[in-house]
Amino acid sequence: MRRIGLPLAIGAVLALAGLVLVEALRPSAPLTQDEQAAAIAAELRCPDCQALSVAESDTAAAAAFRREIADLLAAGRTPEQVRSHFVARYGGWILLTPPNPLVWWVPIAAIVLGIALLAWWLLRVRRPAKSGVEPPGSSDAARARVHEEIEQFDA
Amino acid sequence: MPGPPRRRLSLGWLALPVVLVPLGWLLFAGLGRDPREIPSPLIGHPLPTLEAMTLDGDAFASASVAGHPIVVNIWASWCTPCIDEHAVLLDAADAHPELHVVGVIYQDTADGARRFLARYGDGGWPNLLDDNGRIAIDLGVTGPPETVFVDARGIVRARHIGPLTADVMATLLSGIGVSP
Repeated sequence: MRRIGLPLAIGAVLALAGLVLVEALRPSAPLTQDEQAAAIAAELRCPDCQALSVAESDTAAAAAFRREIADLLAAGRTPEQVRSHFVARYGGWILLTPPNPLVWWVPIAAIVLGIALLAWWLLRVRRPAKSGVEPPGSSDAARARVHEEIEQFDA
Repeated sequence: MPGPPRRRLSLGWLALPVVLVPLGWLLFAGLGRDPREIPSPLIGHPLPTLEAMTLDGDAFASASVAGHPIVVNIWASWCTPCIDEHAVLLDAADAHPELHVVGVIYQDTADGARRFLARYGDGGWPNLLDDNGRIAIDLGVTGPPETVFVDARGIVRARHIGPLTADVMATLLSGIGVSP
């Protein structure tokens, strides 16, 4: 447990860091205006329904939102400007996704940190107290004898 | 050995209240908040420009009422709380000639809105048609009734969600310089 604990933890951290890097550097195909509009609609909260995005809702207000998104994109606004357009009128609650993508990584970081702390604590508690006395069976001679006996037993 | 090991254990326990007390405080503080209260980014900023056709077929621009305190009321004929609120608006418009009321008809037909006014009283103020919902978006409307209070300098001072009562109306009017 002690021998594999640290490499496992380091490996997990390295793998996660690699994933983050791949996600961040992955080239994304350019979206059409309709795809952009659909993506923005999926990120905006429908103003007159509970927990639905503008893309999912059938209300007249959601339809008005979708029209406004399409008009703004057609007028040359960037998706970021379109989102800001709605935030400026409604406030931050109109966004279904947090504006800072780092927020997504906070729970993952908390879990990794928690596992690391737990592993560290377990390793520390389980580690036998250091003492001058050598535990039985740790000398080379004793080990050789154990090997011998196992081989005899197998044979 | 009552020395170091004991001290280390008690320091470890420090982490528990350090995490739990702020978490508990956050949850407790949330109890006092009204989940229906949505802060409006409009407050403290100029009223967005309103330009639309009115129910009577006239062109309206908010520039025409600049320099006056304005109450922008978002309503619909299908909105039941709007009925009681309408009487409050009529009273306020009667009592304060310097006040300009502007109605915005939300997700409604012109015929439905006309029937509502014929039944509950037409204050004679402009009621804007918002067929594409753009005015509602510009005002950050979530659903009628909603009312925006604008002072004579054109700055939004308050936004009320839900029907106005006479008391709420008086308080919010004084906030835009209209005293009883």
